[in-house]
Amino acid sequence: MSDHVGLRPAEDDVLPPPDWGRRGPAAPGTRAAWAFAVLAAGLVAGRVWVAPTVGARALDAWATIFVAVCVQALPFLVFGVAVSAAITAFVPPSVWRRVLPHRPGAAVPVAGAMGAVLPGCECASVPVAGGLMARGVAPAAALTFLLAAPAINPIVLVATAVAFPGKPEMVVGRFVASLLVAVLAGWAWLLLGKGEWIRVPSRPHADGTAGRLEAFRQDMRHDLMHAGGFLVVGAAAAAAINVVVPAGWVTAVAGNPVASVLLLALLAVLMSICSEADAFVAASLTQFSTTARLAFLVVGPIVDLKLIALQAGFFGRRFAVRFIPLTFCLAVGVSAVIGGLL
Amino acid sequence: MSRAAQNLLLILIGAAVLWITLGSGEYVNYVRPGFRFLLVPAALALLVLGAAGLRREWRTTDHTPEHAHEHGDAPSGDDHGHDHSRGPRTAWLLCLPILAVFLIAPPALGSFTATRDTGRAAPPPTGPAGGFKPLPANGTPVAMSMGEFIGRAWEAQTSDPSRFQGVPVRLTGFVTPAGKGWQITRLKIACCAGDAVPFPVRVRGLPRPPADTWVEVVGIWKPPGPGTKGTSVQELSGRSLKRIKKPKNPYE
Repeated sequence: MSDHVGLRPAEDDVLPPPDWGRRGPAAPGTRAAWAFAVLAAGLVAGRVWVAPTVGARALDAWATIFVAVCVQALPFLVFGVAVSAAITAFVPPSVWRRVLPHRPGAAVPVAGAMGAVLPGCECASVPVAGGLMARGVAPAAALTFLLAAPAINPIVLVATAVAFPGKPEMVVGRFVASLLVAVLAGWAWLLLGKGEWIRVPSRPHADGTAGRLEAFRQDMRHDLMHAGGFLVVGAAAAAAINVVVPAGWVTAVAGNPVASVLLLALLAVLMSICSEADAFVAASLTQFSTTARLAFLVVGPIVDLKLIALQAGFFGRRFAVRFIPLTFCLAVGVSAVIGGLL
Repeated sequence: MSRAAQNLLLILIGAAVLWITLGSGEYVNYVRPGFRFLLVPAALALLVLGAAGLRREWRTTDHTPEHAHEHGDAPSGDDHGHDHSRGPRTAWLLCLPILAVFLIAPPALGSFTATRDTGRAAPPPTGPAGGFKPLPANGTPVAMSMGEFIGRAWEAQTSDPSRFQGVPVRLTGFVTPAGKGWQITRLKIACCAGDAVPFPVRVRGLPRPPADTWVEVVGIWKPPGPGTKGTSVQELSGRSLKRIKKPKNPYE
């Protein structure tokens, strides 16, 4: 992201000067020494606290659950990426501008509803929202689309229904809560947001009909590569939670309604699972209440580590430090309310 | 990560998924058997995607202008604000599950997972719509799943015990040590091994085989004594025990 030429000049305005608050870059030797010190500390801590509780059977169970979550999520990831790449490659962005109302206040809910029919991974929806803004769509509406598209599109809802068989309320709750968060965040940005906080990325128009299939192929590979690594991290973390964390500890947190909602919301941020796959991880966290798992499903596609990185890269840090806390609080609050109603 | 590496990685993932579904059949250790209808098309899509990318690479290597065109065009093309041709370093993590599948070949979950969740009992499964069918009363053991056994026992416990009492049944599962005795256990998965929930039945009157051995136990349901909690583990008075090979689908 940072090596993108078009974003460079604007970033220089936003960021503090490079020599601000530091003493110049450390020598390579110093950095290596620090890295090894941290590594050594981690190894010692692991030997003291982790090694006594991990046996061969625990490692086997970890590997099984790790592979299982990856295998389970893969078809959904492939299908979601294919549809999202098809839309990016074959539907011209001007169509979306024609569909949206001109008044921003009215465009926000329409953009949210568009998110429900247009599938897109969160990695894909950030660039798409940037493209919408660059083509004159109100930022609030584009941001609503950004939040809604990965959370409530048909593929994600089908994946949720598959992951929670016999629990249609989970699908309904996810849809309602995510759409509500997206629309509320859009309106909040419309009321409180200032134009100078957001850096609208300007990009030249894509070339014509030539090489659309090629664009489709490249988009799909690109999205798979970007989402896949994060999915693996999420699966490993989910497996570790399943195997290493003492059952009593999780049960204690799971028993506390407030703490469990906050814990799973935080986990959703840290695990950064693609929205096509997160329902399966949520289903595996059987110790937690429905409300807590709903919070996991609502927060995950709206705020997570890779989204924070993507949003800061596309729209600037001044945008990210305001937008991410706003959406996190909205997501936790709304999912707590909706989860209570279920 | 170069484009060639990305394409090769896609092919590798597709091949690994095809191998565990069609080749070795190991996928039942991780997901429900019906999932192969999703896994196979996804794997084929990955293979096609990787092969198409490699073919494109192959054809453009000796046409430098076209090659440069793709390089220069990708960052500005469509709606992605960054270079398409370089993959992120995180993509290398995709090798981890492939390594795990081939080097570790993770086995099906067993007694380790079953004993971790002793604190919470799975809710008794409800029978099919309209209740369980009456069992034959000719004295031959009836083979049934652990879920059905627990469901029927729960039904008998809460309503009419005579429908299930004294009927010999045959259960299949693995051995989980529990206190001084043991339980025959089967894990129930809704989608993948990540959400496995144990269905245990305590076996009385038979010596304990080693943990994780797969066994077939014939016995009759032992009604819980008065005052036992409804959700406690059901018991079986064992009559005979046979060691078996691991069934094709280790889960229920």
